[in-house]
Amino acid sequence: MTTLAFLFYYITPYIAVVVFFGGLAYRVYLWWQKRPAPAHLSLFPRPQNRLGRLADALVDMFTLKGLLRVNPLLWAGGFIMHLGLLFVLVGHIRAFTDFYFLWKLLNWGKEQQHAFSAIAGTIAGTLFTIPLFYLLARRLSGAVKWLSVPEDFFVLFLLIGIALTGFHMRLLRTVEVEELHRFFAGLASFRWQPVPESTGPAFIWHFALVQLLMVYFPFGKLSHIAGSVLSKMVARS
Amino acid sequence: MLTKFLDTVRQRITRPLQYYQDICVRCGACIDACHFYVASGNPAHIPAYRMMLVKKLLQRGGNGRKGLLSWYRETDLADERTVSELRQALWECTGCRRCSVFCPFDLDTALLVNMGRYALGQEGMGMEMVAEIGNAEVSKGEIIDALKEFYVDQIRELEGRIREEWGVPDLRIPVDEPARVLYVPVVGEHAIIPLAKIFHAAKESWSLSMFTATNHSFFVGDIEKAKQAAHWIVQEARRLGAQVIAYAECGHATRTLRNFWDHWFGDEIAGIQRVSVVQLVASYLQEGRIRVREGAFDVPMTYHDPCNLGRNAGIFEEPRMMIRAVATDFRELSPNRELNWCCGGGGGLIAEPDMFEVRMKAGRPKVEQIQRTGARWVVTTCENCKTQLADLSDRYGLGVEVRGAVDLIADALVV
Ligand code: HEM
Ligand code: SF4
Ligand code: SF4
Repeated sequence: MTTLAFLFYYITPYIAVVVFFGGLAYRVYLWWQKRPAPAHLSLFPRPQNRLGRLADALVDMFTLKGLLRVNPLLWAGGFIMHLGLLFVLVGHIRAFTDFYFLWKLLNWGKEQQHAFSAIAGTIAGTLFTIPLFYLLARRLSGAVKWLSVPEDFFVLFLLIGIALTGFHMRLLRTVEVEELHRFFAGLASFRWQPVPESTGPAFIWHFALVQLLMVYFPFGKLSHIAGSVLSKMVARS
Repeated sequence: MLTKFLDTVRQRITRPLQYYQDICVRCGACIDACHFYVASGNPAHIPAYRMMLVKKLLQRGGNGRKGLLSWYRETDLADERTVSELRQALWECTGCRRCSVFCPFDLDTALLVNMGRYALGQEGMGMEMVAEIGNAEVSKGEIIDALKEFYVDQIRELEGRIREEWGVPDLRIPVDEPARVLYVPVVGEHAIIPLAKIFHAAKESWSLSMFTATNHSFFVGDIEKAKQAAHWIVQEARRLGAQVIAYAECGHATRTLRNFWDHWFGDEIAGIQRVSVVQLVASYLQEGRIRVREGAFDVPMTYHDPCNLGRNAGIFEEPRMMIRAVATDFRELSPNRELNWCCGGGGGLIAEPDMFEVRMKAGRPKVEQIQRTGARWVVTTCENCKTQLADLSDRYGLGVEVRGAVDLIADALVV
């Protein structure tokens, strides 16, 4: 194995994880360096008590109900994309461990597990990918083009790239999950295992783009994952 | 170019402003929210674009060079086009916060605009007229003793007229007297006469403030001066032992009263209730302290939610209750409440003659909204909105009459 390949499979993944979490923490730290809001920034109507406001902020964050009311099309695009992403992320838990409890509960054997994963994974991936193309198309037409900067396209292409390389492994190859599982569990436990081979070159690209995403994440607009809670709370303070 | 502007902005970026800048995903949900953009199609009027302009300028290194990855970050140098866009972005905004309701993160563009205006002022690109009125409001407190005699004379004269016209010889307009309610008007008799009648009818213990609720320093983002101007009123209220400070029908003043005073004055105003006079009058009606002729006005009328009383202070139902008490034909605008279109005259634009055409244009969505109701009267609860709506009616030939909710009650009082 070349040095470069060794670094890519066994070293940079750790760097990506550290930069991702460290970067987000640093982002929030930078926000905290600034003086707090000089006034109540409340928007009305809002729930009467504190608990109600917190609940409202969280519900709005996970359903985007405010956006649904004023822009249903954008809501559909954004909400389905995020929902698909969430499902996809949950599915990737299988790379590290497995839903042993669930399989036992359903009394499913290997065959059924794989069949289920294939169907659910494809649906989740589709929910994630199709809206990305819609979000991209919006940026090329109408007034949103005034707002779009290179970063917006970079992030969308990055996500689309991740999605398509994922689909390649899923649909065009027979990937041995056990092999992937062994590799990632090995990474997580620092007991390194051989690189998966049943996946073909798509895995290299997929893995590379995800690492790039994680490293980029805290430094651009994707930090909205951290800021959205703050912003929604302050609008109900 | 713009060095002072950028220095000031750097100093004044607060926590929310920082994360607003960082997390805006440029999704464009706010585009259709802004009446300026809807009427002009000018990108500098898109709420998120306003913020991006400032952000791009901030990314410029201290030495004025574009720096690393500038094509990626679209770092702006302060060329003429940027400066002119910046002017439009920061002055041609009414601070209505309609865009915040549309934004999936509730980002407060108006907060940025307010801060940016102050910074532009440092650069000599301010709204001079508005800033001057603001200064006068601040210095008024220093000469109030000299003004008092003259003011009281005027009020006695007004009091005499109301007694005569209304046929109520024991009506009083107390000034500088200990009272439960300190009522703070805006400039002009029209802000005093209806309340003198209503307070009389409700047998309220009240006193008329020697100051005005309006706070023009707020419009130009000069929060220090805005605080000083408001402080005279705090002192007056404490001197008179007032338990309630009631602000006249005035949008931005009510917003400062309810959303800024806690931060400005803390313990100094503990125990003093702060309300819009609209809320006070609504409570008189509800408690039966005053009575009005039901259906007194047989005219189709609608209600315009002022941005600063509605989505920015939560006063939605009180004015509607007042209107329903005296109207036979009340029609809602669509959309209304927190989604109501701004009239286009807020943010200090009314006080700046140069802004007349800008605000007439920005009022177009409002005009169409009013036309759709077929109402003859437009009732509202903000001085700014009243002036703008009347101007719009003239300009677009709407032929509507603009009235305050409090006037309606005063004119329908049963004594
Ligand atoms: C709790 C977590 C999150 C919340 C509340 C959230 C919320 C939002 C909202 C409200 C928007 C704007 C409206 C829209 O396009 O639907 C948005 C856009 C976006 N989000 Fe998230 N998001 C979250 C996590 C993520 C994550 C983890 C990613 C990516 C890895 C992501 C990627 C994006 C992208 C790329 C856009 C821009 C779409 C465009 O270009 O128009 N978000 N998000
Ligand atoms: S709606 Fe909010 S997040 Fe979207 S572009 Fe406008 S300010 Fe940015
Ligand atoms: S606060 Fe109102 S005027 Fe200003 S950008 Fe937002 S919608 Fe437009």
